[in-house]
Amino acid sequence: MAGSRPLPPPEVETRVRAQFGDDVLAVEDQVGHAVVTVSLARYHELVQFLRDEPDFACDYCDFTSGVDRGDEGIEIVTHVFSTTLHHNVRVKVRLPADDPVCPTISDLYPTADWHERETMEMFGVTFEGHPTPVRLLLPEPFEGHPLRKDFELMSRVVKPWPGAAEGEEEEEE
Amino acid sequence: MGLITERTGLAQIQPIKFILNWGRKYSLWVFNFGLACCSIEFIAASTSKHDFIRFGVIPFAHGPRQADLLVIAGTPTDKMAPVIKRLYDQMADPKYVISMGSCANCGGPYWDSYSVLKGIDQVLPVDVYVPGCPPRPEALLEGIVRLQQKIEKEDIREKWSGRLTAATPS
Repeated sequence: MAGSRPLPPPEVETRVRAQFGDDVLAVEDQVGHAVVTVSLARYHELVQFLRDEPDFACDYCDFTSGVDRGDEGIEIVTHVFSTTLHHNVRVKVRLPADDPVCPTISDLYPTADWHERETMEMFGVTFEGHPTPVRLLLPEPFEGHPLRKDFELMSRVVKPWPGAAEGEEEEEE
Repeated sequence: MGLITERTGLAQIQPIKFILNWGRKYSLWVFNFGLACCSIEFIAASTSKHDFIRFGVIPFAHGPRQADLLVIAGTPTDKMAPVIKRLYDQMADPKYVISMGSCANCGGPYWDSYSVLKGIDQVLPVDVYVPGCPPRPEALLEGIVRLQQKIEKEDIREKWSGRLTAATPS
């Protein structure tokens, strides 16, 4: 019977590839969660598909956030979960670093509203169609996007990190 | 008042100084500004096992206007700083501040963060710093005892002159 059990990642792959074809750039299995990388043009459509399709029934948006991949741009990661079928799907979409613009999914999941506002201020991503594109956490005079890799931490400029970074200790031996 | 000024001799005010300071140090209505995990240690210090009420610290101030002591327990952020300053300004003199834990002392593990204040002493005058991450309730108790020693030695002429500094116990 359709829509009565958690979908393993290979089945997620089969279904999203059947629906979206070449717009699905990659599907991975991470700790039992399907991770779908999709083209920017069909990101909103894919999230809607995961929510409305009875086999997926992803009715809960866990988070939507960003990752700064340096020269490769900004990655938007959206995690959705089905409270009835108990499977997790993550959707990734890559945006250019110089002008990151992404369609909002706050019309599909009200939860995504605040998450997108946070991603907006932390990474400088513009969410097209967002109902209230204003800051959520940072104080008003704050300049810059602190979770970007090129954001200067002034304290570290004045006094460099005194310890070794992860991995450096091993190289010294 | 005009009764005691900076020029009043110390011998004349010694008895009243003793009584005032003695009364103040054992009636510290505390306003807990709990911002992070230090607040939990603060609450532990107020409960029956550690019980700072035996030192005359009363944890039920209804707001800053009724409080004598402000304990900054946790991580003050740049966004919270104006709020803390405003609540501190609402407290009536004489008022004292204990900075509890590494975050409130100097930023602690968030020393390089984009959002955390580099110590609450950037916005408020602090009387006692309690180190620790978070400090154990015993450490807060010692901080309170140190503050009481400081209040005991306080020169009320200086306090009423409007200057915020007080003698530090040696």
